[in-house]
Amino acid sequence: MNIWKGFAAAVVAVPLISAGTYAQAQDRSKTLVVAVPSDPVGLEPGGNKAEPVGSEIILNVFDTLVAWTSPEFKQLEGRLATNWTISADGKEFTFKLRDGVKFQDGTPFDAAAVKFSLERTKATNSYVKATFDLIRDIAVVSPAEVKITLSAAYPAFLSILAQPQSAIVSPAAVQKFGDKFAANPVGTGPFVFKGAQADTNVVLEANPGYFRGAPKLSKIIYRVIPDASTRRLELESGGVDIVQQQGQLSAIAAEDIEALKKNKDIKILETSSQIIRQLEFNNNKKDGPFANVKVRQAITHAIDYDGLLNGVFGGTAERVYGPLTTNSWAFNPKMKELAPKYDPALAKKLLAEAKVDPSSLDLKLYSFQGPLWGAVATFVQANLADIGINATIQQTEFPALRALQTSGQFDVALDGRQPWYNDPDAHITIGYLSPLANTAMTFRMPEDKVLDDLILKAQQTSDLEARKQLYFQVQEEIAKKVPGAYLFSPKLIVFERANVEGLVVNSAPPLNEYWSVSKK
Amino acid sequence: MASFIIRRLIALIPVMCIVLVIVFSLVRLIPGDPAVTLLGPGATKEQIDALRAQLDLDQPVVLQFANYVFGLLKGDLGFSLKSGLPVTGEILTRLPATIELSVLAVIVAIILGIPIGVLSAVRPNSIFDHVTRVVSLVGVSMPAFLLALILQLIFATYLGWLPVSGRMSSFLTVETVTGFAVLDGIITGNFAAAWSAVQHLILPTAVLASFLAATLGRFVRNTMLDVMGEDFIRTARAKGLRRSNVVLNHGLRNSLLPAITVIGLKFAEMLGGAILTETIFAWPGIGRYMFEAIKNRDYPVIQGTTLVFALMFVLTSIIVDLLYGVLDPRIRRKMG
Amino acid sequence: MLELLIFLRRNKLAVVGLVILVALVGLITIGPLVSPYTPTKLDILHKLDAPTLAHWLGTDAFGRDVMTRIMYGGRATLAIGVGVVAIAFVIGVFFGMLAGFVGGWPDSIIMRIVDAILAFPALVLAIALAAAFGPSLQNAMLAVAITLAPQFARVARSQALSISVKPYVEAAVSLGLPTHRILLRYIFVNGLGPLLVQSTLALGSAILQTASLGFLGLGAQPPLAEWGADVSANLQFVRSAAWVALAPGMAILLAVLSFNLIGDSLADWFNPRRRNELD
Repeated sequence: MNIWKGFAAAVVAVPLISAGTYAQAQDRSKTLVVAVPSDPVGLEPGGNKAEPVGSEIILNVFDTLVAWTSPEFKQLEGRLATNWTISADGKEFTFKLRDGVKFQDGTPFDAAAVKFSLERTKATNSYVKATFDLIRDIAVVSPAEVKITLSAAYPAFLSILAQPQSAIVSPAAVQKFGDKFAANPVGTGPFVFKGAQADTNVVLEANPGYFRGAPKLSKIIYRVIPDASTRRLELESGGVDIVQQQGQLSAIAAEDIEALKKNKDIKILETSSQIIRQLEFNNNKKDGPFANVKVRQAITHAIDYDGLLNGVFGGTAERVYGPLTTNSWAFNPKMKELAPKYDPALAKKLLAEAKVDPSSLDLKLYSFQGPLWGAVATFVQANLADIGINATIQQTEFPALRALQTSGQFDVALDGRQPWYNDPDAHITIGYLSPLANTAMTFRMPEDKVLDDLILKAQQTSDLEARKQLYFQVQEEIAKKVPGAYLFSPKLIVFERANVEGLVVNSAPPLNEYWSVSKK
Repeated sequence: MASFIIRRLIALIPVMCIVLVIVFSLVRLIPGDPAVTLLGPGATKEQIDALRAQLDLDQPVVLQFANYVFGLLKGDLGFSLKSGLPVTGEILTRLPATIELSVLAVIVAIILGIPIGVLSAVRPNSIFDHVTRVVSLVGVSMPAFLLALILQLIFATYLGWLPVSGRMSSFLTVETVTGFAVLDGIITGNFAAAWSAVQHLILPTAVLASFLAATLGRFVRNTMLDVMGEDFIRTARAKGLRRSNVVLNHGLRNSLLPAITVIGLKFAEMLGGAILTETIFAWPGIGRYMFEAIKNRDYPVIQGTTLVFALMFVLTSIIVDLLYGVLDPRIRRKMG
Repeated sequence: MLELLIFLRRNKLAVVGLVILVALVGLITIGPLVSPYTPTKLDILHKLDAPTLAHWLGTDAFGRDVMTRIMYGGRATLAIGVGVVAIAFVIGVFFGMLAGFVGGWPDSIIMRIVDAILAFPALVLAIALAAAFGPSLQNAMLAVAITLAPQFARVARSQALSISVKPYVEAAVSLGLPTHRILLRYIFVNGLGPLLVQSTLALGSAILQTASLGFLGLGAQPPLAEWGADVSANLQFVRSAAWVALAPGMAILLAVLSFNLIGDSLADWFNPRRRNELD
């Protein structure tokens, strides 16, 4: 009986305690609701592993030293740095820092904070270890100047500094919250982290003292909605303002985009991405039919690329001709001619030349889960069936497929990669450098001194034009080896309610900044 | 009564042990290395080994199990591989959402199911009986995801009466007191939030409740028809009592007890349905948490949520037992 | 036979169930023979066409005929259902009979395991198992079968218990007949009725559960036509082309409905009291 009495007392008492805490309906015209498929992971630079939701929130709560200039995203501009110089040998980067910037907790931003943040990420974030290990020293020249020395020339380093993992954190807040910093992130950015409810939402509020001026919105709510059809229904009913494509997921079915285009309440922003989706071979495997380049070529000619782009994606994806997307500054236009064309007859001929009976190939075609990958796999499977190859689709959870790939237990798999920084290096080095073959997200290239040297030289050459020529060569070399069939590059698509204004879709990485956004 | 409860709890020990073994071994069957997943590309062999050690995956299985059980006794379910947070806490923040939904669904199902079953049994093979039998069979046969989608389309998209998904309007917040959104809204006097929470509850509750209501209706009808065949009912009817009186006085009383068992059993099944319902309605409960964990191979979370589902069922069966004891002294005597 | 006809006349829902089942079985056996389409052939130019005379239920996102996929998918779905129930039946009945007939500690152990399995919501256990073994149709079937087996074990055990005290079984025991012969000849054969009821009802659950696993991406893999997987793959188009998702969904509903109708009526049939009471 006591339990009930206690409960009754609580019911009476609680309203008294919390009297006056009426949560008011927020001013909707200044609140932006963004639908995301899952909770963010690693809401701070020291722990972020390029997971899209967390990365985007970091870019809105924190600032980086430099950032890509909207809307072209081809040039870097200063953010927390006003300008910078690079030494002749390409190893020393000196940044002049912006004056008078304060973190959201009121402590001042200075060179010590830069040193603290980058060294912290280097120590704690395994995702960026390979690149951050290049940092040999970070020197505080003065409170307004910082000098970063690399152990080798690395021109893509500036692009790395524009990434969420390189954002500058408040040293005081890190001290205060310790390992709870990810739950209490504090930066200099336009929005202040207010709180997160598991599987429900993340709430950001405007930072009125932001150094570029207060944002026009007063609040951003990231709403977690895992199901794609539910996201669409919410967008149509006005329950969310923005739905965007995220990583592996298609936010909204391609077929639905046509219907949404006719909806006057909804605007669709599209832009090319640098994401590549491919059918890849286990290039490190010395035996088996795919060790023969003719068999690999046959597969690349069996795929109806245009049918895939128009049929499955309804124009929401673009053709990929080689290891780089057409919008990369290092894209070699010659790749358009070198790329395989859909030609089932040629595919069959190549198989015959290789003395491979297609019906003897009993393939397991590995793919990720979800309707989008299911559709791509179904399409590719039918293409292979047309040249007589029987493939069984194995849709596998993300971690399991990664494990299969890194251990080399597959022949062909559908895969994709999203460059995590805006530089050809992100595709080429990770994808094709043979010493990395047994790590994740590579093409498992066999040892090849010529190609490896070329890749490393391209990575380290400072002169932009010389570098571009090297990447041209790299692309042609890779194409000769037929490491896979480049299937498509999904466009970045953001669906927004018609009253949302000022959003520019960022292409690499596809993370949006909401500082400039407003609602009518 | 106390000894009855204690005996029932003791009887549960072997079952719980087997449940633990099942939950523990489930995750060891999974192919793929969680350490590789967690560290992401670029991790070195040393880092992976260190993480395996940290996750307790490098010890003999027997020791792993001992550690697991010992941790459980302290309420420690390990740490989520994805978020790095303690699983116990993660589950506790999501548990109220699932309980809120499932308890409401049980109440709705009882309110709908029992009267329907009774009315059908009073007039077997009447139009009402036929209609309700068909409707309830459709209810049992309908895939939950299909029903959810149809309801979303009708009531949220076309009619616009109810919200599509979520637990509360994004523009409202409520202070967490109990974790139950409606209750918290009322307690803190935030009636706008409470009302919004009620509106958000309607569709997912309907989906969950439909299955249980239909099962219950069918069950009550059938047991009542069975009871009607018993001698004492025949006697009562022979004495000239009206059929409906007999049904309500004798039939209902005798079929309610087994109905409690069915509710208890089907409650577990309904919790399973919560995985689908929570995913479609973006409901932040443990069903969806479990599904996300499976997609991410988040070992400790899969274990933790599976265990919690089993615990909820065991708890329900204890409550059912107790209700039995309270409602029927004969059982208490026999088992105590 | 006459008794059966009288029973069916009184029990119209059983007739409805039979009619649906016969129609579905007819559709999936004859349909594929007469359909001009193959279920996996892509025709991307005609994707998501609305129902026409050429495509009675329209086409899906790859231009495949939905009607044809339902006909082929029904073969897979029903075969899956029957397969799952068969596995569950064999496992459950074997252990249930053994527990009921032998008694003692084997009974205790078996029934505790049964209790433990029943303590998991079926879908939770099936998902956990399917995830553990890896997502494939076989594993999904095995997982669902494991969750269904305890129900069979319980029914079989109670049948064995009630029959094993019957004089003819006791006589067989005293004659020294080997246990397996007694189990098979008397207990299994005499307990078949309730097991049949259980099997029919379990067919419905098996199809629903496998479809749910398919919906969550843990069941049949494309391009195999299977109702649950087809609903799941096409759900995203429900606003632009409702038929592609709703048609296989309705097929699942109808199949499960027919099994439940028949199972219900079988339960009445094997329950003599209720069979006569229906006045």
